[in-house]
Amino acid sequence: MTTFGLVLRNALRNKFRSALTILGVALAIVAFIFLRTIITAWNTGADHGAKDRIATRHKLSFVITLPKRYIDVVRQTEGVKGATWANWVGAKDPRNPDNFFASLAVDPESFLEVHHEMKVSEEARQRWFEDRRGAIVGDVLARNMGLKVGDKISLEGTIYPGTFEYQIAGIYEATRRSIDRSQFLIHWDYLNDSLPADRQDQIGWIIARIDDASSSGDISARIDRTFEESDVPTLSMSERQLQVSFLGMLSALLTAVDVISGVILLILALILGNTIAMGVRERQNEFGVLRAIGFLPRHVLAFIMGEAAIVGVAAGILGLAVAYPLVELGMGRFIEENMSAYFPYFRIDVSTYAAALLLSLLLGFIASAIPALRSSRMSVTDALRRVA
Amino acid sequence: MSEDAKQIVFLRGVTKSFAKGGEALTVLHGLDFEVEEGQFLALMGPSGSGKSTLLNLIAGLDVPTAGRVEVAGHDLGALGDGQLAKFRANTLGFVFQSFNLLPVLTAAENVALPLLLTSVPRSERKTRAHTALKVVGLSDRVDHYPRQLSGGQEQRVSIARAIVNDPQIIIADEPTGELDRASADAVLDLLQKLNEELGKTIIMVTHDPRAAKRASSVRELDKGQLS
Repeated sequence: MTTFGLVLRNALRNKFRSALTILGVALAIVAFIFLRTIITAWNTGADHGAKDRIATRHKLSFVITLPKRYIDVVRQTEGVKGATWANWVGAKDPRNPDNFFASLAVDPESFLEVHHEMKVSEEARQRWFEDRRGAIVGDVLARNMGLKVGDKISLEGTIYPGTFEYQIAGIYEATRRSIDRSQFLIHWDYLNDSLPADRQDQIGWIIARIDDASSSGDISARIDRTFEESDVPTLSMSERQLQVSFLGMLSALLTAVDVISGVILLILALILGNTIAMGVRERQNEFGVLRAIGFLPRHVLAFIMGEAAIVGVAAGILGLAVAYPLVELGMGRFIEENMSAYFPYFRIDVSTYAAALLLSLLLGFIASAIPALRSSRMSVTDALRRVA
Repeated sequence: MSEDAKQIVFLRGVTKSFAKGGEALTVLHGLDFEVEEGQFLALMGPSGSGKSTLLNLIAGLDVPTAGRVEVAGHDLGALGDGQLAKFRANTLGFVFQSFNLLPVLTAAENVALPLLLTSVPRSERKTRAHTALKVVGLSDRVDHYPRQLSGGQEQRVSIARAIVNDPQIIIADEPTGELDRASADAVLDLLQKLNEELGKTIIMVTHDPRAAKRASSVRELDKGQLS
């Protein structure tokens, strides 16, 4: 028998209680992992935003358009390698109006040039460039809507009213996580020509590729200075900031998720703390015996905290084992398929696994600290008098 | 240090008071007390007479309000908590009324428990535990858990635990208090054997006159005074 063996056996001495505790904490760990994954998945797109791309939008709001001529000015700005533009179309599939996806009107050639992480076959590119009614869609959206190359689909506009028919010219994949794999991309020209004259030649935002990623701040400022005195001033920012501002309405929700994660950790600590305190109270007499035969207060402290750590880690491992198939194979797939505009990659980050395991260990220590300290400080004679 | 080299326990002017309901309750009053090396001493007296308190002071589990306690050459008042724990581990063996074995450990593991505090290797710990169990006549119960043993067997395991470190003194607090007559006799036989054959000094608190008869000397304590 070793000291660790003694701690392990004590941790599991009341098997039913230990099992319930481990199960309870494991469930809390699963919830924690799921909520953390919401946050990391949300940040993934933004974190992986290309460093060499900056976006320019109207200074006041994302929804106010810019004159199309701005694109030429941006292209001529020092440090800009290429630029493209896009408009949010807000199209919906009348067959399934609840299915939200990003539909953008873009300039196909420059858009693919600037977004070089989009993988589209050469044939598909040519088909799309040549067909004004052609569209390319992300592989996730294609799978979700059951679309394949050559299919025709009618979409209803919300921002641009009317029904538009498109033919699927190709399906793109992404080589980096910054690309939303559930976008529906159409020709900007086709949309523009369908609009009344007073709404024509307006673009939603400009995306520019720059020579040197480290100069993005300077180049953004340079672009904005150019339009500073005009009727339509701009605000330029990195792609990451753009994504954050575009989906900024979710930030409050994410803060709430963060708070809930903290509350879950607190609940977890209380579950563990309660069980440990109960177990320790029942065993005061044993700790008295250990102290009488020569064990020190720090040994008692280590025994109790060690037991809590074992329970915490066991719960952490079980939580991880349950969370992996649940999130990676079940819920994650569902979210990617149905909410890919917000969560294109809903997978558990390695840091979340590590945090969950570390926290379960840490919370074991925290939860057991008070009962362990009390027991270790109790006088031997008092402890020996205690009856379970 | 004590005047007599053979005195292994030496108490002078020991007073012990407890605070109870805001008042000081004195359990021991200026007690002088000695135990000779190799002695089997029975401490008797009615409940509340201070027997267990005296035993706790000798074992270094409690500190006197006044007076001096010397055990096996150690002035316990001069030792810190860590040194007291080391003193108990090296010098004393404990036998409790309720056996106090850890239910998650086998008999051999319970016996080997004090050796966890030493640098004795694992295999040697096992050997020593088996030897101690052999001494108490439980060689065939080494892998049994406390719940699988009778009360008498549990107390013998507890005695094996008390001697596994080869201590000079065995402190036994009502060792037969929870046993039937036959088991009590077996435990007392064992304590007698440890005293006579292995030369262990035994200080035993008991209410049982039959148990006291096994001791080489008996001291009675009443209202904190030795008679």
